[in-house]
Amino acid sequence: MKEVFVLAEHRQGELRDVTFEMLAKGMELSQKTDTDLTVVLLGHNVEKFAKKLTDHAKRVLVIDDARLENFNAETYQKVLTHLISERKPTLTLVGHTAFGVDLAPSLATELDLPLATNCIDISFEGEKLVVVRQVYGGKVNVKASLRKSESYIVTLRPATFEAKGTKPQGGEVIKIAPPFSDDITYKRFIEYFQPPAGDVDITAADIIVAVGRGIKDVDNMSIVEKLAEAFGGVLACSRPIVDKGWLPNDRQVGTSGKTVKPKLYIAIGISGQFQHISGMKNSDLIIAINKDPKAPIFRSADYGVVEDLFEVVPTLSDRLLEGKR
Amino acid sequence: MNIIICVKHVPETAEAEIAIHSSGKKIKTEDLVFDINEWDNYALEEAVQLKEKHEGSVTAITVGSEAADSTLRKCLARGADKAIRLTDKAFEGSDSYVIARILHKVIQDLPFELILTGAQAGDDGYAQVGVVLAELLGIPHATMVKKVEPLKGFVKVNRELEGGLEEIMEVKLPALLATQTGINEPRYISIMGIRKAMKKEIQVLSLKDVGLTEEEVGESGSWITVEKMFIPPVEKKAEILTGGVDEITTKVVETLRGKGLI
Amino acid sequence: MNFELTDEQTTIKKAAREFCEKEFTPELALEFDEKEEFPMELYRKAAKLGFTSMRFPEEYGGQGYGVLEDCLVTEEMCRVDPGLGVAVTLGTLMFPDGLLKHGTEEQRRRYIPPLCTGEKICAAAFSEPEHGSDITRMDTIAKKGGNKWVINGSKEFITNAPFADFFCVLCQTDLKVTPSHRGESLFAIDRGTPGLDVTKLNGKMGIKPCVTGSLSLSDVKIPETNLIGELNKGFYYALELFDGTRIAVAAEAVGMAQGALERALNYAKERKQFGSPIIQFQGVSFKLAEMAMKIETARLITYKAAWLYDQGKMDPMITAMAKAYASRVAMDVTDEAIQIHGGYGYLADYHVERFHRCAKITEIYEGTTEIQKLTIIRSLLKRGFS
Repeated sequence: MKEVFVLAEHRQGELRDVTFEMLAKGMELSQKTDTDLTVVLLGHNVEKFAKKLTDHAKRVLVIDDARLENFNAETYQKVLTHLISERKPTLTLVGHTAFGVDLAPSLATELDLPLATNCIDISFEGEKLVVVRQVYGGKVNVKASLRKSESYIVTLRPATFEAKGTKPQGGEVIKIAPPFSDDITYKRFIEYFQPPAGDVDITAADIIVAVGRGIKDVDNMSIVEKLAEAFGGVLACSRPIVDKGWLPNDRQVGTSGKTVKPKLYIAIGISGQFQHISGMKNSDLIIAINKDPKAPIFRSADYGVVEDLFEVVPTLSDRLLEGKR
Repeated sequence: MNIIICVKHVPETAEAEIAIHSSGKKIKTEDLVFDINEWDNYALEEAVQLKEKHEGSVTAITVGSEAADSTLRKCLARGADKAIRLTDKAFEGSDSYVIARILHKVIQDLPFELILTGAQAGDDGYAQVGVVLAELLGIPHATMVKKVEPLKGFVKVNRELEGGLEEIMEVKLPALLATQTGINEPRYISIMGIRKAMKKEIQVLSLKDVGLTEEEVGESGSWITVEKMFIPPVEKKAEILTGGVDEITTKVVETLRGKGLI
Repeated sequence: MNFELTDEQTTIKKAAREFCEKEFTPELALEFDEKEEFPMELYRKAAKLGFTSMRFPEEYGGQGYGVLEDCLVTEEMCRVDPGLGVAVTLGTLMFPDGLLKHGTEEQRRRYIPPLCTGEKICAAAFSEPEHGSDITRMDTIAKKGGNKWVINGSKEFITNAPFADFFCVLCQTDLKVTPSHRGESLFAIDRGTPGLDVTKLNGKMGIKPCVTGSLSLSDVKIPETNLIGELNKGFYYALELFDGTRIAVAAEAVGMAQGALERALNYAKERKQFGSPIIQFQGVSFKLAEMAMKIETARLITYKAAWLYDQGKMDPMITAMAKAYASRVAMDVTDEAIQIHGGYGYLADYHVERFHRCAKITEIYEGTTEIQKLTIIRSLLKRGFS
């Protein structure tokens, strides 16, 4: 029986959401192509994960070894090269995460298998594998096909596929001995590092005023600070603001920053790249202010204001302050 | 420390209007401004800072048309010592796997301890050229790099993970690092830098010089082929508030008040 | 014939633009416009990157480019902000040019390198309370006393005077000769020389970050070696210097006009009246088209004047035309930019009123428009038409 592989992703004792998102998509694909869904789980002392994953797939391949405790592209690649050559899955799904991007391209190169990265959709059209990707910061979608192969590797964008609950699959756990004998030679994991937290915890806020590239200059930050204050909320931002050093990185919302779910999220001058959206899309109410009517942020917002932020924001602050008096 | 940086000349689209070309397979680029890919800009700065600290040289390489010379000139003006442009009609339609193969053919003959690339390109966002290139060269790599500290025989890096967390890894040299944005503060181009850059020649190599066949590059050599590009369908669209600024802000305040948010 | 900038020139223009767009923030522009203070930190940053020493030879720490490349930088700076732009470009005004043409090797070595690095700033003191456009006689007098020159008099409207480290001062050295301009000489004077006193002049209409002041000289004693070039040739040297600086002023004007046009265009695209962006009204869009037209012609003649200068074919008539025309264009365009902004244009926060206030100086300094026209008509009478 042919298989679809899903590479389980876990970190610091927890299975990551992307694993279940991939399993949901993987289940759909395996049903359509009449293949088995198999989870590949690499780690150390991961019985608990394996058990949980049996609910989601036909089988769980477990490779348990101390050298696999933390993610390491070198050791992961050794194991996966072996497994894929051996079992020839139709498709291997990997998360387009900090782990996935470090692993999938070199794995595909070593195996000489076609790879598509950062996909937001995937389907088989006959034997052809077709994916949808986003380019130009989410402003354009691309439908693309992969070179014909008996096995493909695809990385899926996190927070894109819904992790649906399924009836327990009662999958079988199969333990496999680590297929490498030599030690890790090139790459060594040292430790995790959590940059020191600041005084504001944006994940605890009910109202978030978030600012992006559109603010243009550090000197303009005062107008959004004032708005956050008028709302009694906190100021957060998208990545460019942190890259420029205008706000500390614990104020960043998005994939590489924090995930927030406030009651009100106001996005100001934020175009809405997926990395940002994935960190705020579950907010109760989203209002976006952006000059560009085609900015992707309007696809995720409840209300949109297509105006110059430098006019809207100060007026809105004044209006709120008036109301308070 | 000899460093190679792989850079890409890309259109700036963050604030531009984008239209699809009539072929349906690319965007119209006539009215767009091109510049060095944002991620590569940080890689360039990192390379130059490392050179200034540890001596050696920086070589910038790109696969692109003559227009990409302006990006290479920028690299030279900001402190790169050499620049190479890989150009051939046959390269058109190449995906990032092929780009990595082209780069590999040239880089394998160059002396280096470190290769730096941006973690991804702002246009196609594959995030894979660097890692494929490292595998082809048989050297280790690290992506999403936020901090680089070269030590004897290896380099200590911080990789950016999700949620603000970082992991610290040691990677044996020679290695390839794909850098994140925000890793440093890219410097301005100085007039002195421009003067130096203009005196340097950009080495141009073609398919033949690179040593690949026509089948191995372009669409035929690629893993992935674009079938069509389209403006994404609107799944959930915001209700756009209209009127003047005054009217809009009033609507916002009323809506929020109605929902008990203020 | 070739109307294209070279790759190198384009790169210079872009580098200057990138620097100014990041450094000359609207807030900084407003702040220095209000404070009437020289942006020293900004100046030093620009100098370190080579933007303020474009025309000076590499052997003295300069960049070795010509007037055209210098104009490209000036244009970009004034495009982003006219006040900060002018201030930053004028820190090395005239003095090095005078030394390069007529100074001794020792004078060049002493004065030019620290100006290139931005450590020092210079000023050119020609105008006097009674002599602005007419510098054919100076009331500031230098008399030989032993092996020193002793200088008495006062100078007015001197750019950078309050903080300049070096001054080049035009003095009357022969009181009897007729015409009197044959008795003028140029001297280098260091700040701190006893008897030299400077005061700041406040309340200018525009280019406020470019600080102006007065000089008072009372028995200022300087060594013989501070004479620049030959004795009694100062007037001719000054005219020569104006040939270069007038082109720079034309470039300032082009930059200011361009900056105002861009602001007006952006505003017209966003401002809605009667239900549509005002750019859709021909009353507005035609204005913008005319502004763009004028700027492009002003730029062409400015570049031509610069190019002629760099080719060693300096043409006083073309230079005068470039200055007179570009400065008028700057006035017209910045005026229209305010008009397009309507009431908002009258407010400092919308910036175009500052462009207009700054633009006015380009019709006045380095020879008023009327003086330029005199040059043009003299040339026409002399050379006829080919």
